[in-house]
Amino acid sequence: MKQNRLFNLLGIVVVLAMILTACAPAATAVPTTAPTKAPEATKAAVATTAPVATTAPVATKAPEATKAPEATKAPEATKAPEWKALSLAAPDCNYGGTMKKIEATDKYTVKFTFCQPEIAFLGKISLPGYGILDADNLNATGGDSSKITPKPVGTGPYIVKDYARGTQIIMEPNPNYWGTKVQNTQFILKWNKEAAARLLELQSGNADAIDNPGTDDYVTIEKDKNLKLNIRTAAQVLYMGMNNTIKPFDNEKVRQAFSIGLDKQRIIDNFYPKGSVAAEQAVPSTVKPGYTDGLKWPKFDKAAAVALLKEANFDFNQEITLWYAERTRGYFPQPTKIAQDIQAQYKELGVKIKLSVQEWATYLPMTREGKTGLFLLGWGEDYPDATNWYDVFFMGTSKSFGNAYPDLVENIKKGASTGDLAVRQAAYDAVNKLFTTRLPWVSIANPVSALAQRAEMTGVVIGPYNENFQNWVTKSGKVVFSQNGEPVGLFCADETDGDSFRVCDMIYDQLYAFKFGTGEPAPSLAEKCAANADLTEWTCTLRKGVKYSNGAEFDAADVFATFTTMWDAKNVNHKGNTGNFQYWADFFGGFLNPPAKK
Amino acid sequence: MLQYLVRRLLFLLPVVAGILIVVFIIVRLIPGDPCYVMLGEKATTEQCDAFKVRFGLNDNIIVQLGRYLGNLATGDFGVSIRDKRPIGDVIAERLPMTMELAISAVLFSSFFGTLLGVIAALNRNSLVDVFTMLIANVGVSMPVFWLGLLLAYLFALVLKDTPFYIPPSGRLSAGVILVRLDEYWNMGELSGFSKFVIDFLSNSAILNSIITGNWETLKDALWHLILPALAVGTISMAVVARMTRSSLLEVLGQDYIRTARAKGLIERLVITRHALRNALVPIITVIGLQFGGLLSGAVLTETIFSLPGVGSRMIDGILNRDYPVVQGFTVVIAIIYVMTNLVVDISYAYLDPRIRVE
Repeated sequence: MKQNRLFNLLGIVVVLAMILTACAPAATAVPTTAPTKAPEATKAAVATTAPVATTAPVATKAPEATKAPEATKAPEATKAPEWKALSLAAPDCNYGGTMKKIEATDKYTVKFTFCQPEIAFLGKISLPGYGILDADNLNATGGDSSKITPKPVGTGPYIVKDYARGTQIIMEPNPNYWGTKVQNTQFILKWNKEAAARLLELQSGNADAIDNPGTDDYVTIEKDKNLKLNIRTAAQVLYMGMNNTIKPFDNEKVRQAFSIGLDKQRIIDNFYPKGSVAAEQAVPSTVKPGYTDGLKWPKFDKAAAVALLKEANFDFNQEITLWYAERTRGYFPQPTKIAQDIQAQYKELGVKIKLSVQEWATYLPMTREGKTGLFLLGWGEDYPDATNWYDVFFMGTSKSFGNAYPDLVENIKKGASTGDLAVRQAAYDAVNKLFTTRLPWVSIANPVSALAQRAEMTGVVIGPYNENFQNWVTKSGKVVFSQNGEPVGLFCADETDGDSFRVCDMIYDQLYAFKFGTGEPAPSLAEKCAANADLTEWTCTLRKGVKYSNGAEFDAADVFATFTTMWDAKNVNHKGNTGNFQYWADFFGGFLNPPAKK
Repeated sequence: MLQYLVRRLLFLLPVVAGILIVVFIIVRLIPGDPCYVMLGEKATTEQCDAFKVRFGLNDNIIVQLGRYLGNLATGDFGVSIRDKRPIGDVIAERLPMTMELAISAVLFSSFFGTLLGVIAALNRNSLVDVFTMLIANVGVSMPVFWLGLLLAYLFALVLKDTPFYIPPSGRLSAGVILVRLDEYWNMGELSGFSKFVIDFLSNSAILNSIITGNWETLKDALWHLILPALAVGTISMAVVARMTRSSLLEVLGQDYIRTARAKGLIERLVITRHALRNALVPIITVIGLQFGGLLSGAVLTETIFSLPGVGSRMIDGILNRDYPVVQGFTVVIAIIYVMTNLVVDISYAYLDPRIRVE
């Protein structure tokens, strides 16, 4: 009895302790390096540790961090009466990046100075990751994606009315939008991973348009008079990589044999939608300068492939592993079936292929670390320039293809070193010709993807980089769009997924943006960005009279704040989501003031 | 009874702790780098190193575990690596949907499963028995993925312009907004357990619309729940039907049933008052297990019907190596499972006084 009472008492004490613990305010785990204090705009632009910035910037926006929980309207009282220039500069060009200096020279002019010619500047800044944020809102949220995402503030055609996590994002026209009037009254974004389920939504009228219908469903959509299929020609490639440090791919003849022994057209015919083409070169034909007109890789020839293998003393008894990840991508719609077809094709040559399917999270590090001799992967360009192709694969630290090919690298460097189109094309012609013999990879397919819509909806134009959602017209005025996945975050400077970029493109504007239906950058928040003769300086004249959705006026301080947030790792707003700001690192090399390596 | 309850609740702690430690270690031992999943194939080695430092993933596993358990003791489940949201917020966002789906599926499967089982047992070895068991077997044989798509196709497409139309996906119709209850009640900024409760209620379409008196939204929410509940419940229904049949057949052979009939009781009362109640113990066990299983998330159903539930988020967490999400949901699911089993065990005492819980 006594023991039972004691036991009961102990149990009550433990339960009470649990309840008290649960009721304690939760300490939020903060990733290690990013500071949390809201910044003061004056200090944000100064590199505080050695190396030292060249000029101390002067704040033009609110001198103190605005602590308002929601940035609904920029308070007039916090605006400085006079514009003061802002500047941030790297001490030299040895810090690892290509950006040298960013200056807001006056209220509507921003100048970017580079350490080397920046050929693709306009294409790069057209990416939704370079959407310009309101400096005040950036300061108020500390650049924290988890605070920006629920209520983003932009100059774009839409504002977020409601974001129900896991369910939908409801957007409405931005009343302050500077561009052409939005043609719909509400835009509802949903998501569903399954292409079949998205198609059902479209067919049943629960969605007005869907992204990436299954390639097997293209025929169904085209046959349905209530639906319409819009083909999207995106610059993508599926390639089969070969690592020259792993036998037998250390032998160039083996690589050549694998290239001409593969019937790419068969793969296209069996697994890719109409409009897709067998790849002829390392880059698609849309990449100019880059693609070499008239150059084709050696044709499919089984007999020649076998002869080459014999010449190379290839051991036909060995089993070669073909690595791939079972993850559907635009360039890889049916991973296992395509891999099996390749296996079957090489079997016809007498080559034994073993398939090794990996999970995505495992596969990427494996290929990067050079552990895969023969592997399937792909690429979709971020901006329309050859530097987003050749440089990505051959100028970085990845060991995917083994040891560097010096002659390839030399010509790739030449192609990126000048703005002269003829010189660039000549360099890339040399690269493409070398590719046919060196063969770090065999390009297999340049696929297309699609967007399907209800036929009664009008105004739809889609392109490789965006869709003109603001011009879509439905009878009800509302547009419901279903895409593959939920956006990860709406501070797209620190995101890499297309699902987030799509929404960012609707909420924010960049200095330049891709014209609808094309890959051509056109002025957006900037009226013009002009380069000097050697492309090391780009001066952008900004559009006047543009307002953010919270009423704040857009000016050069916003551009300066956005770009320096991405560039300067010590900037108090350099927080984002993962804190990696990947597209900055990819496009402009390293960060200013990076954290010390451990 | 109180002693029993307290003892079972105390057992919850070591059970959950053990599960958590095992899951914590296993998830980190799975090959794969969350960095490349988050940052994509373009991430460099340097970027990944910085990523790991930022999220404490470069520390050794014991240090990470210690840090996690220490935070957990203060109620901090951590933040998602993917989107930096507090795990508590993610759980409060996802759990209501899963509970609504689980409860509706269990109600459907329990009612119709029991009904079918009773009909089959009372018409043993007849055509009715064969037919009802056939329905049950077909239900359990159909992959939920296929059944879900088929139901969506039938009710959303084939019956599109009829009164039998049911929406094929989503929690609510596009454009329908759930009111935030903290704003509805002007509660100001919340934190801790109270925030969790308010978020939970806000994210439950059914509870939210009842609280706010929004009957149109309630109707919409129930309407969208029909197909997913059917898809998931059909499989559970089959299991319940078979269990009901076999359990009831066993009870119907007992002496006291013969006595009841001999006394002159009408058959309906014999079945409902005497037979069924005694047959319920194993049926309740099965229903409890089904409920626990559903609460861990019907991944395929959530995917097909685009429902923001626990299962799909958990799978995303595993595939993306979002360790805090996997750990957080594991704790919640473990607690729910143990509590469900406790409720089932307690129900035995009420169903059958002969079963003593001490």
